[in-house]
Amino acid sequence: MSTQPTLRSRNHWKAAGLIVPSLLLCSAAPGATPGFPDRTEQHFKVDARPVVTIHNPNGTITVRAWTKQDVMVVAKRATDQVAVDSEQNGNRVEVTTRQVSTTAAPDDLRADLEISVPEDAELQIHNDSGGVNVTNVLGDMNVETIAAGVDIEDAAGYLTVKTVGGSFQCVRCAGRLEVSSISGNFRLIDLRSSYVRAQTSEGNITFNGQFLPSATYILKNYNGVIEVRFSPGDSFDLSATSLKGRVHNEAKLVPSSHHHFLPKVGNALFGSLNSGRARVELNSFDGTINILKRD
Amino acid sequence: MGGERSAGAQAHARGCARCGSLVADLDGIHQTAPSLAVADGEPPARVWIALRAQLEQEGLIHDGRRGLTETLRNWLGEIFTVVPRPALAGAYLMALVAVGVALTGPDQRRLNEDLWIHGTQVSTQPLSAQLDSAEQDAISSLTNSNPVVTASLQKNLAIVDNYIALCEKSVLDEPENEVARDYLYDAYQQKADLLAQISERGGDGR
Repeated sequence: MSTQPTLRSRNHWKAAGLIVPSLLLCSAAPGATPGFPDRTEQHFKVDARPVVTIHNPNGTITVRAWTKQDVMVVAKRATDQVAVDSEQNGNRVEVTTRQVSTTAAPDDLRADLEISVPEDAELQIHNDSGGVNVTNVLGDMNVETIAAGVDIEDAAGYLTVKTVGGSFQCVRCAGRLEVSSISGNFRLIDLRSSYVRAQTSEGNITFNGQFLPSATYILKNYNGVIEVRFSPGDSFDLSATSLKGRVHNEAKLVPSSHHHFLPKVGNALFGSLNSGRARVELNSFDGTINILKRD
Repeated sequence: MGGERSAGAQAHARGCARCGSLVADLDGIHQTAPSLAVADGEPPARVWIALRAQLEQEGLIHDGRRGLTETLRNWLGEIFTVVPRPALAGAYLMALVAVGVALTGPDQRRLNEDLWIHGTQVSTQPLSAQLDSAEQDAISSLTNSNPVVTASLQKNLAIVDNYIALCEKSVLDEPENEVARDYLYDAYQQKADLLAQISERGGDGR
């Protein structure tokens, strides 16, 4: 019996030894604001095909489709130095993050947004740093970022994505897709798009999707690797040119009926796989182009 | 068709209407040809006189050039008389080939390349100057931005500048390479877009 209080007091001292330094660390952390990060939630009733505009320079933006006919905006602010304004104008909902103080540090201006929208919503997203994730939205989408990466899954609308250094990944996208970047890498996986135009200067482009009849796929970079995966049953007319780099091909191409006069520039490859129903154009300045069999 | 025809051939020509007609035509040509060759030797003097009078009347030639025209005509006549016509045709063909080779030779190629370079410079130099000016303005607006964003913009601006330099070199090396020139124009376009983005975000880049 006499050992129990001693043990208890030892445990108290141990607990105090862990908690006190933690509290001291928390209170000493620069920029920490009591009550933050906070969480706010707003709802907006919308009609069919609403337009949702999101402007958040610093922080993540996550958009998911749900079955409700309203838009829910959940904002998590790092500090009170940043404000999140959400307002509805007709069938349009605008979410804007703005800085309250002009002297705040960049980390204090961070806000993470989680937004739920009807699946036919149209999205316009601006994000400089942080990241953009969109899932199951079938409306048209326009995304612009600087350093933030963009991940889109199960989209079906007309997608236009523009980044400066951010990467882009599109999984199971079915709409028309136009994406451009300077140093971002692109991964286009399980695509079912009838038109794809992807251009990056110093990034890799991976295309592993369906080649739909009469569809057009244009992939271009200055440097880096362009990798296209195909199955033997795919049907496309291929033009692959690397001005200063290399072209590797595993497809059994036959001379194309569409290229009677072939340009003699760099390393070029022209031909058709099966009946050449889709059009595939791969262009690089001094990068490598790989046309590889699907595993 | 020269020389004697065999008895068999003569008999066939008499019996076959088509061959008989053909032989008759060839005989007619054979008989008429010598007189045509003589007539083609020199046009009658009255033709030259009438032609000259008409040209003088229309002011197309003058008396002072009459001697030269006459001399040239005589000189050409002598050449055509002395040199066989097949040889003249061959010489003419060789001259054409020589002109063709001269037009596509190293000098002409260099001239073409210079023209391409000049054309490219004419179109890109003003653009390059405008971009340089826009870059200075854009960079100065970056000072208060988010460091992550600023670093990304500066890094990517350097990447685009590097590609512009590479493409310019490629165009200089191969001025007629349209693909290289397209990449150069694309790089300029990228830089313009990037500077526009920098300017837009310069004020609120946080």
